[in-house]
Formats: sequence, C-alpha cells, structure tokens
Amino acid sequence: MKQALKQRLEEHLITEKPYYLASGKEVDIALAAHKNKLPLLLKGPTGCGKTRFMQFLAWKLQRPLITVSCHDDLSTSDLVGRYLIRSGEAVWADGPLTLAVRAGAICYLDEIVEARKDTTVVIHPLADDRRELPVEKLGELLSAPPEFMISVSYNPGYQSVLKDLKPSTRQRFVAISFDYPDPEREVEIVCREGGVDQGLSHSLVKLATMTRSLKDSGLPEGASTRLLIQTSQLVKDGIDIHVACRAALVEPLSDDPEMLAALNEMVSSIF
Amino acid sequence: MKLARLTERFYDLVAPDIPNEWDVEEVMEPFIDENDLICEAILGHIPVIWPVSHSLCYDFLRLLPNTLLHLSLEQVPRWIGVTLDLYETDGLRAAQRFMQNDLKKYLSQLAGRGGLSFSSVEKQLLPYICGIARDTLQIAPARQSYTDTTSIFVPEELNQFSNNDDNFLLYKLILTFQWGFIACGSLLNKPPGEFSNLPSEETKHSLWLRTFFDSFKEPLLARDIYHTLESIRVRIFLDNELPGLMRAAGAQIFHSFLPCSEQHQPEKTLRSMQQALTADKIEIHPLLAQHLTEKESHTYCQGHASAEDSVRITSRLYSTLQRKKQEYTPLSPLPFQGVFKLRAVETARKIQEQKMGEQFADMMAAHLLSLSKKELADVLKQDQRDSGNTGLAESDISMIMDSEFASTANREPEAPLLITINNEELQLPPELEDFTKNFLDEFGHLPARFLSSAAGKAGQTMLEQDIAGKNEDDQPGTEALLYNEWDYRRQGYRKNWCSLHFKTLKPVHSGFIRNTLEKYHGLTIRLRHQFEMMRSQERFVKRQREGDDIDFDALVEAISDSKAGLASSDRLFIRLKRDERDIAVLFLVDMSNSTAGWVNTALKESLILMTEAMEVLGDRYGIYGFSGMRRSRCELFHVKHLSEPYGEQVKERISSIAPSEYTRMGPPIRHATSILREVDAKVRLIITLTDGKPEDYDDYKGKYAIEDTRHALLEAKAADIHPFCITIDHQARDYMKHMYGPANFIFIDNVRKLPLRIPEIYRVLTS
Repeated sequence: MKQALKQRLEEHLITEKPYYLASGKEVDIALAAHKNKLPLLLKGPTGCGKTRFMQFLAWKLQRPLITVSCHDDLSTSDLVGRYLIRSGEAVWADGPLTLAVRAGAICYLDEIVEARKDTTVVIHPLADDRRELPVEKLGELLSAPPEFMISVSYNPGYQSVLKDLKPSTRQRFVAISFDYPDPEREVEIVCREGGVDQGLSHSLVKLATMTRSLKDSGLPEGASTRLLIQTSQLVKDGIDIHVACRAALVEPLSDDPEMLAALNEMVSSIF
Repeated sequence: MKLARLTERFYDLVAPDIPNEWDVEEVMEPFIDENDLICEAILGHIPVIWPVSHSLCYDFLRLLPNTLLHLSLEQVPRWIGVTLDLYETDGLRAAQRFMQNDLKKYLSQLAGRGGLSFSSVEKQLLPYICGIARDTLQIAPARQSYTDTTSIFVPEELNQFSNNDDNFLLYKLILTFQWGFIACGSLLNKPPGEFSNLPSEETKHSLWLRTFFDSFKEPLLARDIYHTLESIRVRIFLDNELPGLMRAAGAQIFHSFLPCSEQHQPEKTLRSMQQALTADKIEIHPLLAQHLTEKESHTYCQGHASAEDSVRITSRLYSTLQRKKQEYTPLSPLPFQGVFKLRAVETARKIQEQKMGEQFADMMAAHLLSLSKKELADVLKQDQRDSGNTGLAESDISMIMDSEFASTANREPEAPLLITINNEELQLPPELEDFTKNFLDEFGHLPARFLSSAAGKAGQTMLEQDIAGKNEDDQPGTEALLYNEWDYRRQGYRKNWCSLHFKTLKPVHSGFIRNTLEKYHGLTIRLRHQFEMMRSQERFVKRQREGDDIDFDALVEAISDSKAGLASSDRLFIRLKRDERDIAVLFLVDMSNSTAGWVNTALKESLILMTEAMEVLGDRYGIYGFSGMRRSRCELFHVKHLSEPYGEQVKERISSIAPSEYTRMGPPIRHATSILREVDAKVRLIITLTDGKPEDYDDYKGKYAIEDTRHALLEAKAADIHPFCITIDHQARDYMKHMYGPANFIFIDNVRKLPLRIPEIYRVLTS
C-alpha cells in the first residue's frame, strides 16, 4: 500500500523547472502562505499563467502537485475517495484530495466555481486552521501535514452570477490576482515559450492587446498569453504567420462572422 | 381609375387621419390614366409610408411616376424599404434626397455595379478600428474623411477601385490613418513650449492649433503644410506599427494615386511632399530636408518626431513657401489623408468635457451622500435654504475653489486635491481624486457648474430620501424603452417605433387571495403534490457501473451469482443523480379592456394557483401584465420580477391586476425576450395569457398586428426562448397557429376552467 502511494505520488512530482516569469510578488506571497499553512486562491482570466504558476510553486517547494479540474458533476467522493469492488472484495481508493493530504502534497482545484457548491464545502475544514479532512466512509479524520497546501483557481471574468464562490469559501484564502503580463514581460514569455524572435513576439503581443480592448465591442475575452504561445509554436514549425494567427488566435476567440472578419483585418494589418 | 375614386381610397387607407383634399388630389392626379391593377398596387404602398411620415408619403407619390420609368412595379417595395431605412437613420431630408436624386445610384447598386458602401462593411470596420486603437472609437459616414478624436468619419461609399476588396482596403487605410492622427497627437490642444506666448484668443475650448494657423497671413497654407508634415509622421508611424496594412496599401492602392503636377509654388512643393506619402518607402523631400537639421531629419525618419516638431518646422517652411502676390489655393488631400476639422474636434472636446463633468458630478454626489448626515448638512445647508426660496440658478450656490483647482499651471503633481463647498473643506477619496486629476490634465480646469451640480444632486437625493413614499405611477428610475415593430408590407422594421413604459401596480388589500385559496383548497393541495413530484430531487439510482457508494443488494446478488457459476454483473454502485430543473419562465398577462369581468377574475385566480404551485417547484418565474394605447404608450405592469421572492406584495399586486386598454403584443414580448436573453437557464419560456387577437387603437390590428406579434415570437425563438400561449379566444385556431406555430398554444373553451388548466399545462410543458 505504502509502495503504491509512493508511486502514485511520484507521477505528480515536477522534476524539471517550469518556466515562469513573475510579474509581481506572487511567488513570495505563495511561499509565505505555504510556510504559514494558508490556502491559496488564484483568480484571473483564462490562459494567463495560473496553472503554470502552480507548477512552478510545486517545483520550488518540491512537493507533488495534484490537480483536479472541477466540473459540475464532481461529487464529494470524487475528491475524497470511494470503495471499489475488486474480485469480490470492497477496496477503498483514495480520491485526489485524500491522497494529497496523506502525502503532504499540493492539491490544486482548477476552476473551482464549476464544481457544485455542496462539493466545494468539503475543502472547508482543510482550508482553515483545523487543516483536517474527515473521511466518513473510513471513519478516519486525517490531519494535514505542514507541507500540505490547498489551492483553488477561478476566472472572475466570464462565469455567470450563478457561478460565484460562496463567501464562506472565499474568506478562507489568501488571494492572488492574476492578469495578462505587461507587454515587455509578455513579449519575453512568448519569445521563450513559443521559440520565436523578439520582433514577431512583439507583434503578437500587440495583436493580443488589440483583441483585449474589444471587450466593449462584443468580444467576451481577448487573446490569452497561451494562445500567443500556441500561435508562435505554429509559426516556428513553418506555418505562414497569417494562417497561424487565423488558426490559433482568431478562430478560437469568436464565432461571430463580423468579429472574425475584423480580427482577420487586424492580423493582416499587423503582419 | 377616376380621381374621385382614387382620393376616396386614399382616405380609407390613412383613416383616421384626414389630410387636405387638395394635397391628395395633387399627388393622385398623375395616376388617373393607370389601370385599376396598377393603381391598387400603388395605393398598397401608402399604409407602409403614411404612418412613418406623411410628407414622405406625398413625396413618394409625387416622384413615383418618374421612378416608374426606371423601376418595375415589383422593385418599388424594396426601394421604399431603403428610403424608409434612410428616413429612420438620417431623417426626412436624406430620404427625400435619396428618392429625388439617387435613383441612378440605387439602380447601379441593384445591378451590382456600385462601389463599396459604408453600411455594408461598418460592422467589420468598427471592431477593427476599436481593436487597432485599443480604445472605443465611433465611426460614421460623412462627405470627407476626418476625425474629431472620438469618432472617425469616412465617405459613405468608395468606388475608387473597380474591385471591392481594394475599396475595403482603402476604408481600412482611411480609418487607420485617421486613427494615426489621434495616436500621434496631431490635433494639439496645448501650445508647445516656445509658442506659449502666442495670443490665445477666445474660449478655453478652442484648439491651440487653430490659433496657431490663424497667426499666419495665409492660415490655409500653414494648415496644409502642417497637415502634410503630420501625414508624413503618421505614415512613418504606421509603417512601424502596422507593416502588414502599409505593405498591402503599397501593393494595391498607392500606385493608383497618380501624380498630378502643379505649376506654381508653393503648391508644387506641397504636392510633391504629398506624393511622397504614397511611395513604398517614405523619403524626406529635398526642400523639407533643407529646413531640417540632421538630427531632426533623423528623428523624423525614425518616427521619433512629435507634433511639436511639426509645428516648429511648419513656421520655418511657411516663411520659405509663402508668396506675396498670388493667393494660395488649398491643396486637395489624398483620399486616405482626410482633412483636419478643428471645429469638430473642439465640439467633441466640449461634449467630452460635459460628459466627464457629469460623471464627476455623479461621483461627487455619491461621495457627498456617503458623508455623515451632519457633514452633509453643513455642506448643503446653504444650498437647501436657497432652493427652498426659489428655483435658483447655480451661480447662487457659493462655491469657492481651492486655488490649486483653478488652474493647472503651478499645480504640484503630488499635492492633495481639496474642494471647498460652502466653506467646508472636503478631502476627495482616491478614486475621485484620480478622476479629477485626469480631468484637469485634459481640460486644464474644472468648471464650477459641475461642483454645484454635484451638490445639487446630493441635496436632491437627500430630500427624496426624506420625503418617503413618493407617489408615482411610473416606476422611478426606469425610462421608457424603444422597440422596433415589424411591418410585413415593408418586410422590415419600423425602427424605435413603440415606447414601452414601466408601471407598478398599486397593491390592493382585499380578500381576493384568501377567497381564491379557499375556493380552490382541494385543487391547491393536489397541485402542490403534483408539482412536488416534478421537483428535481437528488435521488439515488441503483445498479450503476460507478458511483459514490456500494449497492449492497447488487453486490450480494453478484456474489451469489458468481458462487453459482454465473456471470456476475458489474453494476454494483449507487449513484446520486441530480436532474436539475433549470427553468426560467415569464408570464405575460393580457390586461386589455376585453378581459373585464369573468376573464380577469379567472386570469387572476389562475395566477394565484400557479404561483402557489411554482413556489413548491422552485422554478424561477416572473409575471408582467401588459396593455397600453398607441405605439407611444405601451405599458408593462410589474407584478413579479424573475428574482423577486413571492410574498404579500406580489399577492397584492396580482389581485390588483385589472382590465386596462388595448393589446399591443409585440413590445411586451420583445421586452420579455430581452429579459430572458440575460438569464442563464437551460429552458427559458414566455407564456402569454390572453383572450384574443393582438389589437391596438391605431393601425395595429388585423394582419399587421398578427405579423408583428409573429415576428416578435420568431425573435424570441431565435434567442432560444420558447414562447407559448394560453388563449380563450373562440376564433383562435387560425391565427394562433400562424403566430405561435402549431404546437405552441392551447385553447381553453371554458373560462371557468382556466385556473384548473393553467398549472396542468405548465406541468406538461416543462416535464
């Protein structure tokens, strides 16, 4: 059993340093939060580096990172664990949250607002000074070791009012707000991650800021840093810049034909 | 057709209006010789145009004989459609002009020969330029291309190129170039350092640039020199900023602007400088080069020059280029260059200042109101005393502003802003302070009227809070909304045709609710029970392949199966299943006059039973009544909003539902659609309870009314909202099928059964 646990955890350990360019004090804050056993709440638009930040943090702390992508069918037992039947016997299987608590790992619940509110409450006792997880079906009360950390993320931008965090959940966390990096940093990130030169990266970032300013004109969210990186990866592999922008940047943003046309015109103006 | 017959038909069509006889005779006379069929076709257009504009209708008839020489009778409705669209966007004059002069253009457009019209590409260009500018800009058609810094104006149509792709590129170039002037700060409003001593005349709104041009003997020459210099700067800026666009322009557009030669100076020089704008790579004109130091020409080429540099060079160039004898003839700009319209910029600045000022006043008023009562009273005491006496002008409110406030000249950037109202010094909250600083940077001063307006607003609100229970019929804080109406004859919308007013029903205390609930006691209990069954419960489903817990029955079976040597099932888990009812429904209740009596009572009773049942079910629902008279006063009565809890107030409002006026169905349905469009629900419903056809006092009846309602319902369907209708009209079947679609309405023959049937219908509809 111990062996299996160890093996499962090793899969979650990040061995290579992930690339992350800090744009503020977020790394210091997160490290201090970890030291003081405080949970983290990351908010920010899609593709601005929240998940990458968690990977970087896990690497820095040398703890396994267990990520759960939340969805509206996620149940408490999906997080905590359940009995399974194996060859006529009931066998208990830990859920990701329980696993993380046992191993003192970092548990990262991505897009927490997508989960149902009654599911989110299981993390409450873990996210305050009790730091414990009751596993009812086993009759166990697990106390989290000091290395354990829970962190959640959500995007305040596009979720509807129905999908908001309950104040009782919200008020347990140290919150770090993320946004797209400032232009210089973004250029550097795109250069480095997309493997393209400064000039192209600069133009891509310019295009991204243009799309981000279209919020009032009917585009719900502008191009994310992730899209820029993906575009530049296509370019690096020899795809024509106009084609790459259309495929990796324009089309993912909208389905509205007029908006698409306008975005394409921006692309052809810049490149 | 005889004239008498024609005029008679005309009067029939425009009733109840009674136009002048001689007017009618004059416009109908040319059609005497036409046969009946043609006359009827022509007369058929009158009800389309008459209600929109009488004089347009006369003009139409007057011009029709001539128009019919070019258009066939079948083409006329489309032509009318275009004319009416124009009338609704640009007014009578534009529509008349179109009918009178633009027939040829319209014909060539019909034949697909026309250039590219602005309206056909506006929807692409607007997000394009907003994106490029990273700011919200407006675009609009005009005779010349220019910008007033908040909007960019471009020609209504471009036909420079035979190929519309190139015309589109030219549109892009014009827009981008005009934005270039904004981005490069060409439209200076402050003098550069060494020019600050130039007499700055008249008001604070006039642009310094105009003062600068006027200081020359030939302002136009100065303007053109500056314009050309700035165009060069913008060109260089765009070469760096948007190389793709400039490359495309170089390949497709620039070559077509052929050099035209000028004989004389200074036109010749300016023209050749202008021509340089269309070169593949911009070069500094030799004459210009003479006036530039090496460093300056370097900054120009690198795109580091500023508008101030251009001002300086303009005055140097002017002295070389000016002539003594002949007057300067202004240069016509290249199509994408546009012109400078300084007056427009000044107007835009004025509007901007007003807007920001009002915003400031609102913020300030909010801040004042957030102060403690006493502080506020101190600030406002004089104000209130004054306004108690007379209706006062703003100047009567004493307003002393901090010296730092009066001008920006010597303001230290870090000094805190203080505002003094009635001798009370106020420290501004940071947000307001930032806003104020921005305002001062932009406009140099803060007019006192905005401060007094803030104090006024705060005082007003405080007064309103003091006088509780303002008795108003119209819901406070809501303005009437305008909705389009569909005209089937025109196959288009009458724009902003109906205004929908929001009204509150005054709650009535009566025994109605109690009596109803007593009367239908048995039914309510049954309904509650039925609706409870529909409630989406979280329930356990057994025998699942995976789940939260082990299903022991299944497990025992599986083990005994396997002991007996049979294949055992792998469905061993219990799963919590959640079928959520995610429904939002709006009830629209007909409050027309015809519902008086039993119908109204039955409607109210059904609503009460319905709401009682709905509360058990937990679906989100709203209730609105509608009525009104004529398009200018369609009314929507609020009974319950979607998110409002069900309580005494709502009950009382239901019992106060009473027959009112007419049934104009389009606007309430459109409004319901717009409400539901914002709601996130899996199923969205509009249920209309009515007793008859849509009808209003004016021409909203018969086919027109049915077609408009049908169109409103189609709009709802397009927004993924299901309309449904419950009617008690005996003749309902024919038109209802047409309006709602065959399966989307139900007819109830006995009014008294209404309360029993409605909840049932709802149950069937949503499960």
